[in-house]
Amino acid sequence: MTGGVPAADLVLGAGLLASVLCTVLPSSRFAQSMGLLGLGVLTTLAWLRLGSVDVALAEAGIGGGILAALLVWVSVSSPAQPSPDAATAPRWTWLRPVVGTLSAITLTVVAAAVWLRAEQSLPAWDAALTANMGLTGVEHEITGVLLVFRFYDTLLESAVLMLTAVAVLALGHGDVGPRAGLSAALSPAPPIPASLHWLIRVFAPVLFLAGLWLLFAGSTDSGGAFQSGAVLCAVLILLHSAHVPLGKLTVSWLRPVLVAGVVVFILAALAHLNAPFSFPVLLTIEILLTLGIAAGLYAIYLCLDNPARREVTT
Amino acid sequence: MSLTLFCLGAVVLVPLLASALSVLLGSVARRVLGVITSAAVLGLSTPILVQVTSGQTLELALGGFESPLGITLRADGLSALFLAMTAVVGAVVSCYAAARPASTGKRLVPGTPDRDADKQHHRHTEPPGVWRAGHAGFWPLWLGCWSGLNAVFLSGDLFNTYVGLELVGLTAVALVALGGRDAWPAALRYLFIAVLGSLLFLIGVALIYSVTGTLDIIDSGEIITGLAAEDDADLAAVVLALCLISLGLALKVALVPLHRWLIPAHSSAPSAVSPLLSALVIKAALFVLLRVWLWVAGPLPELAILAWVLAGMGAAAILVGSVMALRQTRLKPLIAYSTVAQVGYWFLLLPLLLDPETSALEGQPGTTLDDGAVLAGALSGTVALALGHGLAKASLFLSAGHLKDLYGTDEIADLRGAGRAHPMLVMSMGLSAVGLIGLPLSLGFSGKWLLATSAVAAGHYWMLVVLVAGTLFSAAYLLKAVAPLLVMSEDDQTELTLPQAQTRPEDPTLTGKAQLAPFVLGLLTVLTGFLGVWLTGVLEVGAPW
Repeated sequence: MTGGVPAADLVLGAGLLASVLCTVLPSSRFAQSMGLLGLGVLTTLAWLRLGSVDVALAEAGIGGGILAALLVWVSVSSPAQPSPDAATAPRWTWLRPVVGTLSAITLTVVAAAVWLRAEQSLPAWDAALTANMGLTGVEHEITGVLLVFRFYDTLLESAVLMLTAVAVLALGHGDVGPRAGLSAALSPAPPIPASLHWLIRVFAPVLFLAGLWLLFAGSTDSGGAFQSGAVLCAVLILLHSAHVPLGKLTVSWLRPVLVAGVVVFILAALAHLNAPFSFPVLLTIEILLTLGIAAGLYAIYLCLDNPARREVTT
Repeated sequence: MSLTLFCLGAVVLVPLLASALSVLLGSVARRVLGVITSAAVLGLSTPILVQVTSGQTLELALGGFESPLGITLRADGLSALFLAMTAVVGAVVSCYAAARPASTGKRLVPGTPDRDADKQHHRHTEPPGVWRAGHAGFWPLWLGCWSGLNAVFLSGDLFNTYVGLELVGLTAVALVALGGRDAWPAALRYLFIAVLGSLLFLIGVALIYSVTGTLDIIDSGEIITGLAAEDDADLAAVVLALCLISLGLALKVALVPLHRWLIPAHSSAPSAVSPLLSALVIKAALFVLLRVWLWVAGPLPELAILAWVLAGMGAAAILVGSVMALRQTRLKPLIAYSTVAQVGYWFLLLPLLLDPETSALEGQPGTTLDDGAVLAGALSGTVALALGHGLAKASLFLSAGHLKDLYGTDEIADLRGAGRAHPMLVMSMGLSAVGLIGLPLSLGFSGKWLLATSAVAAGHYWMLVVLVAGTLFSAAYLLKAVAPLLVMSEDDQTELTLPQAQTRPEDPTLTGKAQLAPFVLGLLTVLTGFLGVWLTGVLEVGAPW
């Protein structure tokens, strides 16, 4: 069975399973977040092994980086909160794990059997993709699919991200105006050691440069708006924790930047409903989308501070 | 590109554009933009409906890239009908929300409570917050949701359908959360359900894609039909995909026993949001279910067990939802359980799809039925029921929410005799009850009639029992909801004491024109009953048989 599989892949697979267990089994939130962080790193390696550099970058940026930042924040700010149904202890404590395990085994076996038996057919768009790449002005096929051939999916997805940020902002203080949702979050971040302070200030420009590289590399190589936006958001989070005064900038620019990418994308789409985008339009959209994604992720991070803790109990 | 094709793209993109722009506006400007957008969507939907009614399926290959490379927007009869219902309900509810900003949720504002209380209870450095009625965050979220709904209805591509469903689900969750702190647990639970449902759907789509090599709905349907025609065809992947997709969508539609999330979500949502959730958001999942069962998977005999299981769950939904509705003492949970019951009707047609023979009537004198007559009847009956439910439930939830805002309670016992003070609200509740029970003239009646006749034609007599039982039950629980409000005199010796109306003199919106919105929808519920035959005709456009 192991004949064709390199040992490295076996180790990676076993590591993935182990890190899943490390995420699920511990009862403390902090340990769970750390487990997920490890899982993110290993998943990124797995995607790299599969040759999907784009997915690996996205996984590292959003799945590993930003999600871990959010989770660590939550676990540090409210370390132990029992789940709502923990109070009502079930009569048979063993029932839930047993049913869960049995269902998981059944699901895996059925899915694997079907998946292995099915006659997979190759994507029908391979030929069309190579034939049409010349029209796009970009060289990387994934970027071509995302921004040209299936731009409509990307448009709706960026709208989903924008509306997530809007929804998160809506749950804070106030409902309209530049400060709405942000008032509680713009208070200074907790203090950090001086050495870390210094480190962040050194690393931020490097990360910023890496984010920009990911953005522009997307036309010829792996990379693009989502990955680059995640890195740029990481820069903002680091600067915020290092007490760089971003408050005024955030209040005046967060919302315009958040919607600009989607607005321009929609206007371009309405003008090009049945004709491909030209390259300058494409580049403008990509840059604005990147900024919008960074702004959206940063807004989600800023709003983690639960406003309900500061409400009047009526 | 013709104007109609432009409308096809614009009807999705215009509300999304308005949603993005409204983020930057103040609350009054958001309301104005919302009403303008509603008018625009109505205007953009009309040419699509007209063109489709004239017998033409509209297709727009986005960016000029045909499938399988690009994404095709496609409007056939099914799309056009759901699009039109969404436009009407969406526009009326938008007008209601614009006229009554307080119905859009609760916002947390930095409060200035009196000094003493502050000193005693709060030692935070931050200003504490207080809840106020009305949340302008409703507008970007609802317009985004509307765009997602239209995207689902017009999508010709399976993956794109998934993205549309995500847009709808996410905004719907956020809209529930606008109901304030009490609504947050319900919203969180709804979020888990919505995401789980989408994931199951996505896995199903991936399985279909791995077998067919295309994501286009029509193309993959043709390939699967081709595969099924082969002798040694192995359709296990398609069957598993259909199982996963049906399970995911049943979660999103809240089919019994997957319905528990719906009650808190729909009843704790703000007054202007519950009608949207019940009338429109769950219809998106129903639409995708019909699309996949009829267009993608075709009538594969391997799906018989799944079809019967889902139909059984549908019958159970009618029973469980009705009994639970009868046991409620509050108006909004009762209406939410009525949604659970009505969802059951939409799943009854699945066994008919796989067994569309008109065997039961063959040999009888005077009956000649075309091929596909059973399918057409069953589908148009189901669609009529779903559309009628959309109109009626929007009206019912709007009136109930309005009454709740008026009196600060939705306990039915406390609202006894409310009809005397607010005849228009209770009248609209009565009209929508007519539609939900399926009394003659309403769209609900046409739907049940069409479904019943095709069931008889195909020899599925069990469906008659379910339909009759469901009708009696719905009459019972809707009477329970509406009758106490209609009590006019004190003939049963109990004094009519309504709770102190919360209407403040400075809030004229509660008694003003906003009450027209549920009335218009209630009236439409009854008037659209005349459209039964027209509806069957429209559904023939682009039908899979």
